[in-house]
Formats: sequence, C-alpha cells, structure tokens
Amino acid sequence: MELDFSPIFESWRFLANGLLVTVQLAILCCIASLALGILGGIGRVYGGRVLKGTITFYVDTMRSIPVLVVIVWIYFALPLVSGYNLPPFWSAFLAITIHVAAYVIEITRAGIESIRPGQVRAAQALGMSHRQILREVVLPQALIRVLPSIGSIVSVTIKDTAIASVIAVPEYMKQSETLAAQSFHPIEVFTFAMFVYFCILFPTTRLIDRLYRRLAHLGQS
Amino acid sequence: MSSQVGQQIRGAGKKPILSYHNVMKRFGNFTALNGVSLDIYSGEVVCFIGPSGSGKSTMLRGTNALDPFDEGQVFLDGSPLPTSENEARHLRRRMGMVFQNFELFPHRTALENVMIGPVTVLGTSKDQAAKAALKLLDKVGLADKTQNYPANLSGGQQQRVAIARALAMEPELLLFDEPTSALDPETIGEVLNVMKTLADEGRTMIVVTHEMNFAKRVADWVVVFERGQVVEQGPPEQIFDDPHTERTRNFLSHLGWHG
Amino acid sequence: MKLEWSVVWQYRWLLAEGVLVTIGLTIVTMAIAVPGGIILALMRLSKNRFLSGFSLCFVELFRNIPLILVVYWAFYVMPIFVGIELSAFATGITALALNVSAYNAETFRAGINSIRQGQVQAGLALGMSRFQVLREIVLPQAFRRIMPILASTWVSLFKDTSLVSVIAVGDLAHNALMVRSQTFRVLEMLTAMALIYWALGYPQAKLADWIRKKFEVKE
Repeated sequence: MELDFSPIFESWRFLANGLLVTVQLAILCCIASLALGILGGIGRVYGGRVLKGTITFYVDTMRSIPVLVVIVWIYFALPLVSGYNLPPFWSAFLAITIHVAAYVIEITRAGIESIRPGQVRAAQALGMSHRQILREVVLPQALIRVLPSIGSIVSVTIKDTAIASVIAVPEYMKQSETLAAQSFHPIEVFTFAMFVYFCILFPTTRLIDRLYRRLAHLGQS
Repeated sequence: MSSQVGQQIRGAGKKPILSYHNVMKRFGNFTALNGVSLDIYSGEVVCFIGPSGSGKSTMLRGTNALDPFDEGQVFLDGSPLPTSENEARHLRRRMGMVFQNFELFPHRTALENVMIGPVTVLGTSKDQAAKAALKLLDKVGLADKTQNYPANLSGGQQQRVAIARALAMEPELLLFDEPTSALDPETIGEVLNVMKTLADEGRTMIVVTHEMNFAKRVADWVVVFERGQVVEQGPPEQIFDDPHTERTRNFLSHLGWHG
Repeated sequence: MKLEWSVVWQYRWLLAEGVLVTIGLTIVTMAIAVPGGIILALMRLSKNRFLSGFSLCFVELFRNIPLILVVYWAFYVMPIFVGIELSAFATGITALALNVSAYNAETFRAGINSIRQGQVQAGLALGMSRFQVLREIVLPQAFRRIMPILASTWVSLFKDTSLVSVIAVGDLAHNALMVRSQTFRVLEMLTAMALIYWALGYPQAKLADWIRKKFEVKE
C-alpha cells in the first residue's frame, strides 16, 4: 500500500476553508455557551424554586440526549415547528450552544458552592450588596477554581463542532469527508484530519492548564 | 570502659541476626547514610535515636528493601540482603514493620487488616487467619474493636492494630519507624506498653524513636545517629547516664534530657 | 401541518432493535475500555520509558480527536491496516473503545495516584507483590474516586454511541434517521428519537449523580 498525500496539498484551500469554519463555529459556541452557562449557574444557585427546578431539568435533559440528536432535531425538525429555516451553520451553533451550556451550568454551580461561607460573611461585613458580593467575591474565585473544567468544556465544544458535519456544515470534518470520497484517498485525508484536530485541541487544553496554574492562587480562599 | 564491657557481654558467643557493613544511601545530592556499620543480635531491643533527618528511618527502609541501600553490605542471619524485588518479598515476610502514620488499610476492618498479610501472602485460610488475628487483637487490647474500620479508631488504637498486623506474619524481626510520633500524648502510653510486652517476650526489635524514657527503660542497646553516621552506641545506661561523645551529650541536652 | 404519530408505533420494532444495539454498544465498549484503561494507566505509571511513552501518546491522541473522526478513520483505515473486514458493529466498538480507554486511563491513573505512598509501602512490608498491593490495597481505595468518574463516562458513552450511526451501525440514531428519510415523517421520528434517548439517558444521569454523592470523598 502506498500513501499519497498529494490530494490534501492540491485541495488545501478547500480544507483551509473548512478549518476556518471549524474555528469560527467553535469560538462562537464557546462564548455563547459560557455566557449562557454562567448565567444559568447563578440562577441554579440563587434562583427561586421554580427557576432552580427548571434549570435542573434542562441540565439533566441535555445530559441525557446526544448532541447529534440535538443538532439533527434543530436543523430538520425545528423549522417545522417554528416556521423559520435556520441555515446549517446557525443550527449547529444553536444546538451545540444549548447542549454545552448545560455542562457549564453544572460547573459554575459547583464552583460557586465550593466558596466558603466565610468569604460571603466577610464581604457582608464590609457592607457589600448581594450583587456586589457575587460579582466581586464569589464569581471571580469560583470561575478560577473551575478553570480546568472550563478547559475540558472548550475541548468538548471543539470536538462537537465535527458532529455538525452530519447536517453538512462545511467545517473541517465535512470537507475531509468530501475530499476523501472525491479523491479516493480516505486513509490519507482522515489521518491528516486527525493530525489537524490534534494540533488545535492539544495546545488549547495545555494553554488553559497553564493559565490555571498561573491563576490558581487567586481562587484559593 | 563500660561500653567495652557492654559489647563483650552483648556479642558473647552469638552471631548477629543483622549485620550492617559500611552502608550508604543517597537521595540526589543529600547523603542520608554515610558508612554505617552495626550489629544486631537475636532477642535484642535496639533503639535508634538522633535528630530528625539523621538517617534512622532510612536504615529501617533499607533493611527490608523498601528503599534499598546504595552501597555497603547487610547480612541477615549470615546471608547478604537480596537485591531483586522477588527475593525482597521473601525478606519482608521475615520482618514486620510498623509505620509512623500507621498506614492501616482504610477499606478493611481492624480484623481484616490483621488478616490481610497471612491470607494474601502466606495463603493461610481465612478461618485460620481470623482466629490468629483475633488472638493478636486481644493481645494488643482491642478484642472489642475487631469490626471497626480504621476511621473509627483513635490513633493509639490504630497503631496497636498495625502492630498486630505486623505480628500476624510471625516475623523474626520487628521494625518500628517512629511508632508514637504521630500520636496524641494521651495515647502514646498504650502503644509503648504493647511494645514493652513484646520486648519482654524476647522479640528482636529495632525501634526508631524520640521517646527517650522508653529507650532507657526497654532497650538493650541504643544507637545514636547524626548526619547519616553512628555517633555512639552502647547499652542505655551508657548513652543516657554516661555518654562518651560530645555529640550524644549535645543531642540529649537539646531534648532537655537530664538523666 | 398534520402530524402522523402512528408512524412511530408502526416502526416500533425497528426502534426497539436500535435501542438494543445502542445499549449493547455501551456495555461492550465499557467491558473493553475498563481493562483497557487499567492497562494503559499501569503502563503510564511503569518505570519502563517505552511503555509509559506509548501510553502517554495513546491517551493524548485519542483525547484530542473528535470521536466522529475516529469512527470514520476506523471504518476506512482499519480494514487496510489490520487486513480484516470488520462488521460495522465491530468497527463502531473499536472506535468507541479507543476513545473511552484513553479517558479511563486518565481516570485510573488519577485514582491510583491519589493513594498515599505509605499505603503501598505498608503492603510491600507485609511481603505482598506489587500486583497484590495493587489489587488488595490501591485499587479498592482508589475505587471511591474512580467510580463517580466512570459513571459519568458511562453516561457520555451512552450518548456518544449515536456517532457510530454515520457508518450504518443499526443503533437507535441510525434506525430513527433511516425511518425519517423513508417515511418523510421528520418531526415525528426525530422527536421520538430524542424522547427515547431522554427516557433512557435521564435515569442513567441521575444514577451517576447518586453514585457521585455516595462516594464523595470526605477528608
């Protein structure tokens, strides 16, 4: 068997476009799911009974349904319910975001609950309001503490974008599939794709680890 | 004078059970043992004393090859200590070890902790091991705690279970690595009493300790370590009442020892 | 828009078969990936540089590649490298097991490392072999830390099995998507698929929570 990597070089532009879509999708999903998840996490800890119950149900639901199913449902079924057609990219964005946000909620909750009550009392003694205590004391420490978990969330999000290929979002996985089929060189194309994903994911997780090590002391009260 | 007399009486007509010849041990740049030579005779209680980091515990861990010596020779009953892991296992069966932090297995009851050695290593049946373990726990005064998990025992009780665990292997030699250092003052006594009982039975024991009263009362032979070397050795009367070296005197007066 | 929910009932056996395959994939993968993870963890902790290096590369590689890509890769590349034509099911299992073994290896390694060195020495001092120390002392204690993570890996795995549908393993996702494209009852079939996954996954997620609470390390 001879390996021939030339189709990859010949179609580098095609693959590079896919990579760009992967990166865009991953960044958007990370930002949106972190924002949504942190808000949800605050609601999960400080909300009233109804809000807490709803958020818990939402989190557990997302923990039990595959992201593939969410993606497919939002792309194919949601338009039939809502009457709006979302393009594949935004369907994938929406699906991955609501899926990953559930995990961010859980992480944020765990982070907030790990802060000792003494910290809150100390802030109250200074006369801070609830909102100030949350923003100035609790959240910063909590988020630093859960940074390693956030790192794995980022990694999961990037990996989940590859599943968007099933609804033909032209990201790197989809482009590789297309190229593999057209060039009749699936081995080279998929092996190269592994290399590409590894080169994105490995440094990203390492970077977040390093960031955590530098910041960890700020979260230790 | 008295040390020579002691030594003559001590070694008379017997071969040492353990004999160290110029033993060395390094950890990176740090020399933990720097040429230690020493004999230990059957039936003796030998106490190793000296400041922290002087090499006492390193001697014990080297003796049962948990952390083998780098250089020098050690003879157990006349034959050299093994170097391979497999032979080391045989060696460890002949020596019981008691650790500073007890190191009971938290997922096993007191009884199971005492049984685990005979059952897994010697292949003793569970019934037989349990019977023997009950006797040993009774001996260390814990007949009523056999079903307790270590978390539900006081430090002194845990250490007594650990002693029973070591005894369960019917060792020829017992090694105690600062057995009372991690204990609350009020439970130290119960552990020392058990050790005294064992000494009175004529067991061979090496005890690394900071309990000078115990060493003086129970030991047959005391070895003073400093910076990886033996500063002085002799019977307790010599070491505590009439130390021959300046360094022994310094160490003891540092502890506030006045005889 | 007219909904025809009867289509779900009509294809109930095909969906049930898919459910069985999904559960089978989960169980078989875990049955391989637990011993696989232990072996990789032990290799990683061994003093042999080759073994620990191999384990490190394996674990980092499969933790940093999307599973769906591993599935495609196993489908196209394995038959050529290994030389045997595996069934779609076996190919799916292979891809899942590679992925989950890598995660389990880290779980076991962290669990083993969490046990004090003194515990190992106490076992060795009794004359136990390294293997006996691992089996009798280290693993039972590490179990408390390992179980909760294994449970959540299980829940993730259950969901991830849906990804092997892309190489036509007849799991729940594959069968439901197939019925959808044959009958054009898109909303009904996709909603049914989501609900079945939810009904199966929800109790598992709750069980994983229960295990985590039960084993929570109190120190």
